[in-house]
Amino acid sequence: MAHQAHAYHMVDPSPWPLTGAVAALLLTSGLAVWFHFKSMTLLVMGLLLMILTMIQWWRDIIREGTFQGHHTPPVQKGLRYGMILFITSEVFFFLGFFWAFYHSSLAPTPELGGVWPPTGITPLNPFEVPLLNTAVLLASGVTVTWAHHSLMEGKRVEATQALTLTIILGFYFTALQAMEYYEAPFTIADGVYGTTFFVATGFHGLHVIIGSTFLVVCLLRQIMYHFTSSHHFGFEAAAWYWHFVDVVWLFLYVSIYWWGS
Amino acid sequence: MFYRFDGFTRRLAGPVTAEVYCPQGLRPVAPSEAPKLIFATPAKMASEAGMAEHYLGVNRVPDLQKLFQKSDGIPVHLKRGVPDKLLYRTTMALTIGGTIYCLVALYIASQPRNKK
Repeated sequence: MAHQAHAYHMVDPSPWPLTGAVAALLLTSGLAVWFHFKSMTLLVMGLLLMILTMIQWWRDIIREGTFQGHHTPPVQKGLRYGMILFITSEVFFFLGFFWAFYHSSLAPTPELGGVWPPTGITPLNPFEVPLLNTAVLLASGVTVTWAHHSLMEGKRVEATQALTLTIILGFYFTALQAMEYYEAPFTIADGVYGTTFFVATGFHGLHVIIGSTFLVVCLLRQIMYHFTSSHHFGFEAAAWYWHFVDVVWLFLYVSIYWWGS
Repeated sequence: MFYRFDGFTRRLAGPVTAEVYCPQGLRPVAPSEAPKLIFATPAKMASEAGMAEHYLGVNRVPDLQKLFQKSDGIPVHLKRGVPDKLLYRTTMALTIGGTIYCLVALYIASQPRNKK
């Protein structure tokens, strides 16, 4: 490592791809065992192994980047491409659910009464909590940008506060969605309306929780002085992801909550 | 009456009242050298200066950089010593134990349930 004559990162041998693969095996088999034998042991083992792998793998990436200086400009470029491709794949993941929704709603089958929302479904009022949720997510998009600019200008305390505010808004959104799910007059089993609604908004909610976790990690790293005003890709990736989640919500709101009601 | 150059306002400033009544030359124990010029830069209170650092913790990044850049041939996932080793061994134990348990569970699941 000391005699390296190029700027690329030659990674150490790592056990995490192996433990991650085994976690995937345990999760899939665990689900099958749970469905067939009502035993959750294997599933819990899989979840635990997955969480342990994620914590240690990402901890090592922080070590390599912040403490060992392996994230040189060309390495950062690779990380950027990686994050962009990952978010692109996520866009197509959600595109599938939007496809299902429009497929079902643009030409409702006779079984649904030929109308959308289907006969017997009382949809949620889009101008109540969903509109508040839209405002909350848009505001969090503003605060995350505020945090980014504070970080770039070296305003440490301000960046920490703006990031904290973003996280609070993220948790507020999750709490409101949980409440909305609890109060919803239809379920995931209520035909194609319930299915498309809960699968699309549910996966979005999962992504909000993942994004919030990512931002919490960034906040902890910010408090621990990991970010400099010119090198903070971890934060940028979290902000990109957060904006992606925000944009998906806008499409969900306009399509499913508003037009779909 | 005398004036002093104020480094902050970049202007000559009037003396403090006490200095008018006690000119330097008349005081018996006054130092012969002029006192060090104090520029009127905003002075920070000791408690105020360390505030931000105090409530946000100390920067340990340089120490950790030294620790993780030590060339001792230890891979990055074990570089921090005992806590790393414990976490790694727990994960590995779960990996091996989980694989065996999983294979057994799948074998059992593959057996026919009712023999009639």
